[in-house]
Amino acid sequence: MTRPVMYALVALWTPAIAALALAALVPLRKKGWPAAAVAIFSSLVSLGSAIALFMDRLHDEVPQQLVAPWIHAGSTVVAEVGVRVDGISASMLVVVTLVATCVQVFSVGYMHDEPPAAYGRYFTLHALFLFSMNTLVIAPNILQLFAGWELVGVTSYLLIGFYFKKPSAARAAVKAFWVTKFADMGLLFGLLVLFAATGNFGWDAKLSHGVATAVTLLFFLAVVGKSAQFPLHVWLPDAMEGPTPVSALLHAATMVAAGVFLVVRTNPLFAQAPATRMVMLGLGAATALFAALLALVQTDIKKTLAYSTCSQLGYMVAALGAGSMLGGFFHLTTHAFFKALLFLAAGSAIHAVHSNEITDMGGLAKKMPITASAFIVGSLALAGVPGLSGFFSKDLVLEAVEGQLSNVPYAALMLTAFLTAFYMGKVVFVAFFGKPSNEKAAHAHESGLSMSGPLMVLMVPTVVAGYFGATFAHVQGEHYHFHFGTGPAVASSLGLAGIVLAYFVYGRGPRTEQPAAVALVDRIAKTRLVNRVYEYGFHNVTLVVASGLAFVDRYVVDGLINLLGYGAIEAGRKARPIQSGFAPDYVLAVVLGVVGLAVWAVFGSWR
Amino acid sequence: MTLSHVLLLASALFSVGVYGLLTRRQVVAILLSVELMANAANLVFVAMSRFRGGVSGQIFAIFALALTVAEVAVGLALVILLYRAHSDTRVDLASELKQ
Repeated sequence: MTRPVMYALVALWTPAIAALALAALVPLRKKGWPAAAVAIFSSLVSLGSAIALFMDRLHDEVPQQLVAPWIHAGSTVVAEVGVRVDGISASMLVVVTLVATCVQVFSVGYMHDEPPAAYGRYFTLHALFLFSMNTLVIAPNILQLFAGWELVGVTSYLLIGFYFKKPSAARAAVKAFWVTKFADMGLLFGLLVLFAATGNFGWDAKLSHGVATAVTLLFFLAVVGKSAQFPLHVWLPDAMEGPTPVSALLHAATMVAAGVFLVVRTNPLFAQAPATRMVMLGLGAATALFAALLALVQTDIKKTLAYSTCSQLGYMVAALGAGSMLGGFFHLTTHAFFKALLFLAAGSAIHAVHSNEITDMGGLAKKMPITASAFIVGSLALAGVPGLSGFFSKDLVLEAVEGQLSNVPYAALMLTAFLTAFYMGKVVFVAFFGKPSNEKAAHAHESGLSMSGPLMVLMVPTVVAGYFGATFAHVQGEHYHFHFGTGPAVASSLGLAGIVLAYFVYGRGPRTEQPAAVALVDRIAKTRLVNRVYEYGFHNVTLVVASGLAFVDRYVVDGLINLLGYGAIEAGRKARPIQSGFAPDYVLAVVLGVVGLAVWAVFGSWR
Repeated sequence: MTLSHVLLLASALFSVGVYGLLTRRQVVAILLSVELMANAANLVFVAMSRFRGGVSGQIFAIFALALTVAEVAVGLALVILLYRAHSDTRVDLASELKQ
């Protein structure tokens, strides 16, 4: 076993052992704080080995793997299970474990008021999630990736429904599960097609044009579900019912990025399917713009960030569609840092004022300087202000998209950049500046070290990650050199314009009415059109088909079975009088039988 | 006296036994009928031995007698149990198997 492989195994198995231990040792879990200690310790070990692995990848580009046979067909092994160490998995592993560790430390403070049993359950699920995500990230083939993919889906369901006594949380969990499960069929069927064509589950096969398009389109369906792209984005805003740190880790930084990661990982397949990539480019850019418009009219700070996540995932999908694996992956990385930072800062503010509404906040910058500066730094990075990480990655995305499909996606993403800066400016000005809107906001105070510490830690990569673009590219075996051309200039000017406009609209005292354009979007958003299409489809198609099938099942299938049972019962009822229970009757039957046999023996013919 | 005479006698005895078995309601009478049938069979064994030669028929008859004794012992024990249960020995009282 080589050293990098060992790092990968440590990073994979430490959270698994922690999750198993917490699941099995009930007193440890029910006590609460020991569960947090175990989970955070395992995440720290995992983070340490992930960093060691990344360092190793800096001067060793040859991929390594350690696999064991998993699924046999006769004497041949059709699938293996194990770890694969290369630039992609090492980079993603660092992102996942770093954000997970920060989020878990943050949760110590944020979830402090939970009863000990719930507290323990929360950290157990976090350890399970980290194991699942790592399984996905370092998978040596798509089948293991699929296993990890489903595992993160389950942990996502459990964590969204963490407050399962609240009906809206339980509904949101089920909705997320249904939508992503529907999309996951794409990955499953894509795997089947891939296996039928190549006989294995690897991602470096040479496929014919048609097969490559079919497989990647099916995979892309799963990406649309997991990474909340239009029209399957509906579960992500509802998923904000979960605890805020969960939203930061799963529904902003890592799990929703698994869809993008799938495309990065199976890039050799996507590279063979230009048709799929055109679909991705169009849908990604459309999602980016559409979600940014919806983010504009949210008053719930978490929902704003959720739509913003959809929008930024749209950027990544568009970049991958334009053929820039590096652009999509780099934006995934920087986005993971600054969006986790934004969510955690939002969580800190929510914890202080006990409300998600930005109109219930106001003036928090003076009361909570660390939280406010974290949120502002995150917002500036998201808005693509020059010098921060989001600027570099967003620029790489725009550069890749420029000139494709008559520049329509490019224009959409530029407009999105402006809108992004505008809605983040709105949140910052309304929630953190101005006057406190109520008593709670007026008496808010800075959160404890467990919550402000992770914010400060995450601020570092949010600011500096952009300068490591060359290192990041080098580990992927690609080249990256930043040059300040017209694209970055236009994008960052649009971003700054958005912030300035937000200041003029929202930054000068409370406003009762919205500007006309925003009000129009609000009116359209209030129609909940996409959700209503699903609801209509559910009531008028799914339920009708289901009740038809239920009828067939209940009266035809069950009817046949019941008929058989009823026949047997009736036959028994009819035959029962034969058994009188009186001995002479049985003797008579015996005698008649003997006489019959005798008659047959004498007169009947045997032959 | 020929073999036919003896076989006719045995058949008559057997038929009387069957008739008794089917019509009697008292367990003791039924047991007597069964004895009658068994002895009809024994008579055929002995008659065959007598008219055809050989001793295997006689040996069979001896064995069958021993068997009949055992059967009567069991049968009378059942009669006693039936009497204890119902204070009577009519066979149609014993219909618990139906329940």
